[in-house]
Amino acid sequence: MTVANPAPALIAAPPLGRRVWRVVRLNLVNKWTVIWIPAMIMFFIGLVNWLIWWIIWAATSPADRADAMDGTQWSGGAFYIFVYMLVVGIQVITGTFPFALGYSTTRRDFALGSGLTFLMLAAGYAVGFTLLSAIEEWTNGWGLGGHLFTSVYFDGESLGGRLFTVFATMLFFFAVGAFSAALFMRWRMNGILAAGAVFILLVVGAIALITLTQSWPAVGDWFAANGPLGVSAWLLLPTAVAAIAGYAVLGRATPRS
Amino acid sequence: MSAAPAPTSIAPAVQVSGLTKRFGSFTAIDDVSVTMKPGRIHGLLGRNGAGKTTLMQLITGQDFATQGDIHVFGEKPTENPRVLQNVCFIKESQRYPEDFQPKHVLRSAPWFFENWDAEYAEQLVDEFRLPLNRRIKKLSRGQLSAIGVIVGLASRAPLTFFDEPYLGLDAVARQLFYDRLLEDFSEHPRTVVLSTHLIDEVANLLEHVIVIDQGRILMDEDAETLRTSATTVVGPRGAVDEFVRAREVLHRDGVGGLASVTVAGLSASDRSQAAAAGLELAPVSLQQLIVRKTDVRETGIEQTA
Repeated sequence: MTVANPAPALIAAPPLGRRVWRVVRLNLVNKWTVIWIPAMIMFFIGLVNWLIWWIIWAATSPADRADAMDGTQWSGGAFYIFVYMLVVGIQVITGTFPFALGYSTTRRDFALGSGLTFLMLAAGYAVGFTLLSAIEEWTNGWGLGGHLFTSVYFDGESLGGRLFTVFATMLFFFAVGAFSAALFMRWRMNGILAAGAVFILLVVGAIALITLTQSWPAVGDWFAANGPLGVSAWLLLPTAVAAIAGYAVLGRATPRS
Repeated sequence: MSAAPAPTSIAPAVQVSGLTKRFGSFTAIDDVSVTMKPGRIHGLLGRNGAGKTTLMQLITGQDFATQGDIHVFGEKPTENPRVLQNVCFIKESQRYPEDFQPKHVLRSAPWFFENWDAEYAEQLVDEFRLPLNRRIKKLSRGQLSAIGVIVGLASRAPLTFFDEPYLGLDAVARQLFYDRLLEDFSEHPRTVVLSTHLIDEVANLLEHVIVIDQGRILMDEDAETLRTSATTVVGPRGAVDEFVRAREVLHRDGVGGLASVTVAGLSASDRSQAAAAGLELAPVSLQQLIVRKTDVRETGIEQTA
């Protein structure tokens, strides 16, 4: 039976947890972008590194080998994954945000869901990274004494320490990427330029302050004293600031075509 | 099996009052008040840049009003999940994540739209011949529009907006959209707002017509009332002039000794009088009517009397 012009039955909004979780799922719906492709690139970087180690290993006399392989301590090969996550942070805001709003998601639910996505991805990658560093130690540098996941930035730490360092650093990159993209979403290019100008002035100001008070040695001491673990713990502070500011900026942003 | 209509059936789905939206010095929406009734198909018509998209952005909480009130299902829409859960806004300019393929859209849509009908969506994918495994960036304009149409129909949201959903769709696909919309609407009644400038194509679908121009509401009427609100009188110039002398003339045309004049609504006695005078009466299409009323060049003189 049809009734003339019946009122469409309204749908009750699901509870906050479910609304946030569906944003997480949306962010991860294409596993290629956030998981498989970065993992494949990481594997390729590992492979190329290993081949180079092998060349060094084969070209040096057995007496010098340990010394030569020590140089790989300064490898930045694994750094790529953090830059990749910066880009993921940007794309979540520039690509997924306009789309999620089209799906009638509130900005608040989107921000919470994306924050949770970043936490999960950072945790996942930190676990993977730490496992690989354990294998690297266990196999004595993949059989050649090389360093990729135990490079100087992560070395000297317990597994737990490495786990935390990677987790915090990755969160930092997500937050910076998402925050910059949120500025763009809210104020377009003007937002990026203004924020860039403010950031540069702050950096120059800090340099001036440190130089004039002759505190550079103190800065060096601070890094040495804190070590990778301490520095990455301190990194949580700008991460939190960027996350909260990003949330506020996104709260009144509207995607424009 | 029919349930008694809920008392909410009288409550408007959308109620906008005194709404203004400015972008800098530009006023996109200018003191607009409009009501949309539940369970009907509304046409939101107007020229390019008239403010159609901005009005829908405001109603769906995607943009923020400068002034005025918006109520959707009785509540403010911005950042309100209770309202937004019931809203689907398909816009011509919808952006998709860089790496998305249509299959990602179809996979994630049911998480957000509780009424999603996956089987129906699949049927529509076939009918619109939408390739599922191609990057959205690589799709043609028509295929991109097809994604919007499919999501808009299969989501069955109680309040669905289609903002010029047909761009790049060929005539067959457009007709398919109109057919499916009407079929699905009668099976699953909901409030639909269709923004378009292909007025004649959708004239038969519309139950209510809202015309917006330069940010103001120009017309807000029942489609049926509108259809009978004007008639074209055709015949020998002298007889036509005689007949229309005391009436509101909307438009005048003529070739040689023949005149064709559009006048405002005629009563039954008017009609028999016209017939007696040997004049021919023809209905005015919605499109003609709206063009007549929104084209300042033509109506400026007659309307400002």
